[in-house]
Amino acid sequence: MPLIADFRLFIDDRYNRSPISSPIVVDGDFSRPSLAHDLFFVMHDDVTGRPRLHPRLASLALAGAVVGELMLAERVTLDLASGQDRLYATARHATSDPLTHKVLRHIIEEPQHPVTTWLVFFASTIYTDVTNRMIAAKLLNPPARHLLKKQPAAPADVNAAAWPLARLNLAVQRREPPSIRDRVLYGLFAATGGAKRALWDHDPAFVTAMLATLSPPLQRLIVQTEVVVGQAVISRR
Amino acid sequence: MSLTEQRPSVVSAALAKDRLGVPSVVFFVISAAAPLMVVAGSVPTAYAVTGVLGVPFAFLLLGAVFALFAVGYVTMARHVVNAGAFYAYAAQGLGRTQGVATAWVALLAYNALQLGLYGIIGSAAEPLLRDWFGASPAWWVIGLVAWALTGLAGLLRVEVNGKILSVLLISEITVVLVFDVADVLHAGPAGVTFDGFTPGSLFVPGVGAALATVVAGFAGIESSVVFAEESKDRDRTVPLATYLGIGIIAVLYSISAWAQTVPTGPDGIVKAATEQGPTLIFGQAAAHMGGTVATIGSVLFVTSSIACMIAFHNTTARYIFALGRENVIPSVFGRTSARTAAPLAGSILQTALGLIVIVIYAVSGLDPVTKLFFTFGAFGGLGLLTLLTVTSIAVIVFFAKNPSRETAWRTRIAPALATLALCVIIGMTLINFDTVLGVAPDSVIRWILPGIFVVAIVFGLVWGRVLKATRPGVYANIGLGAQAVGGSAK
Repeated sequence: MPLIADFRLFIDDRYNRSPISSPIVVDGDFSRPSLAHDLFFVMHDDVTGRPRLHPRLASLALAGAVVGELMLAERVTLDLASGQDRLYATARHATSDPLTHKVLRHIIEEPQHPVTTWLVFFASTIYTDVTNRMIAAKLLNPPARHLLKKQPAAPADVNAAAWPLARLNLAVQRREPPSIRDRVLYGLFAATGGAKRALWDHDPAFVTAMLATLSPPLQRLIVQTEVVVGQAVISRR
Repeated sequence: MSLTEQRPSVVSAALAKDRLGVPSVVFFVISAAAPLMVVAGSVPTAYAVTGVLGVPFAFLLLGAVFALFAVGYVTMARHVVNAGAFYAYAAQGLGRTQGVATAWVALLAYNALQLGLYGIIGSAAEPLLRDWFGASPAWWVIGLVAWALTGLAGLLRVEVNGKILSVLLISEITVVLVFDVADVLHAGPAGVTFDGFTPGSLFVPGVGAALATVVAGFAGIESSVVFAEESKDRDRTVPLATYLGIGIIAVLYSISAWAQTVPTGPDGIVKAATEQGPTLIFGQAAAHMGGTVATIGSVLFVTSSIACMIAFHNTTARYIFALGRENVIPSVFGRTSARTAAPLAGSILQTALGLIVIVIYAVSGLDPVTKLFFTFGAFGGLGLLTLLTVTSIAVIVFFAKNPSRETAWRTRIAPALATLALCVIIGMTLINFDTVLGVAPDSVIRWILPGIFVVAIVFGLVWGRVLKATRPGVYANIGLGAQAVGGSAK
């Protein structure tokens, strides 16, 4: 018996535990580590937690990731026929996670906006929201104040933080398309222009081919994230 | 937004909080035009190089032409994507191939206006350095320092902060007005005359050269529509800010250009401007109000020039970025610096061009003020005139193809009048381009420089055709700017 107890110390089953306890929530993919968390790790140094990207671009990409989480969980999709890439909810029932739930409520309330408007809107608060969610999930240590300098929230576990970027690197190296979630992750990261800096061997042709295998709504989400990133670069403020 | 919108939208309200009002847009627009730099730098140089006394009238005249142009311009801005760029108007009005040609002209014109600024910073800083340290390095050393500063600001996306910009701008305008009043109170032997405001003083040989310089003074005003997407009320904010900006610039520059002639008398201004150049107004101020006021003016002249350089650098870099995103120029220019959110390649290209120009002028010993600042300014001014003309025609064609509820004055009459006036001004500028360059009337170079624009247009048209044949997907998105990657979803 004590042997098993010792074993349990080494098994980190954080990702395998299902947070879904309500019988109302039946489907969805919220039990897996979140896309937004993975993107956060990819966009930050795995040891220091220092950002690799400009905060504005990082926020837009995180907004894309949270919408992407909802898309993967089949809660929202894009109305491609309208020619405006309007975002609308396909299921109204709650998600177990307060952040995605809040985002979903917004989308249900106001179905008239194109996805670019949503990305800009969510980007204004999402960075703080995702950081807080990750601190609450013990994925990040709370930001510390050393003397005069404020330290960014650093990953609690370096290996966990390095893993998403490593998966992308492996995918490029083997020229093997990763899981759908990781394809979206890669697409969003590439949309910010950050992939070239952070990956060992960023290959735009491979990315294009890989993204072409995603469903049209997910493809459009990534493209529109690239559009709002471009607009942020052009904007004077 | 749409018909489904019944209750106040949380999203729209939240996004509106971050939007710009009329004053902010006016500030952005005028600061790019850098009042003190124009009044202290461009105006005396215009007097000296062209010998035309009607510069004050030219500012009023061009103010009127710009206002006329703006009528159609701001109207079309409500109806098009990527309203910040001239080539978007050409693409959406006249066709995509013409859009590419316009883009190339715009690239040339903006680059010229930006590069010319490296010629003025030396003479702006020299008197101050001499005052404080007893000596001053060569103009190109100062130019290189400004160049490095601008390049770094471009890479790090250091935008001169809105608040700092407002403070600078208000101080600049105050200083200009104080100088003006002092000038008028210290009239020369001829007394206060209003010769500069008469059309007769402008329409003399050299008028075209004066007009081209004055146009460069207005450069930046067209950027008002960039803020269409970010303004509080798309239909009101941008037009109001544009007309206000044009009005303020025209009146302020006109009065200041006239005030400079009061102490010297209209007969003496050309000689004084030739001898003193950009130090003219500070010399006058020192004589009238003492050294301290003049020094404050000189310091603001330097800060104004640097702020203007950074603004123009960033504008041009963004322009290059938008074209890169559309694949109209190699897509490497559409790449972002993810770390700083700066348009990386465009910025580096600008910086490289700046270095080349400064080195060439330093090595060949050409005068930085008349040959770099003024020549590049007038060249850019000529390009800007071309862009305004093409845009006015594009407005007319666009509304002919896409009927809307806008009035005929906005969609046809005003743009047609603007086109006519602009064509006349371009003609006069071309006739006097020898004066601009300070060369003999039969010199070849006077035709080579405007010819560069013709070459750019031809290359642009050919390139547009090539894109249409070989990359129809890219061709279809011309004129959409950052939205080009998203296709024509609108």
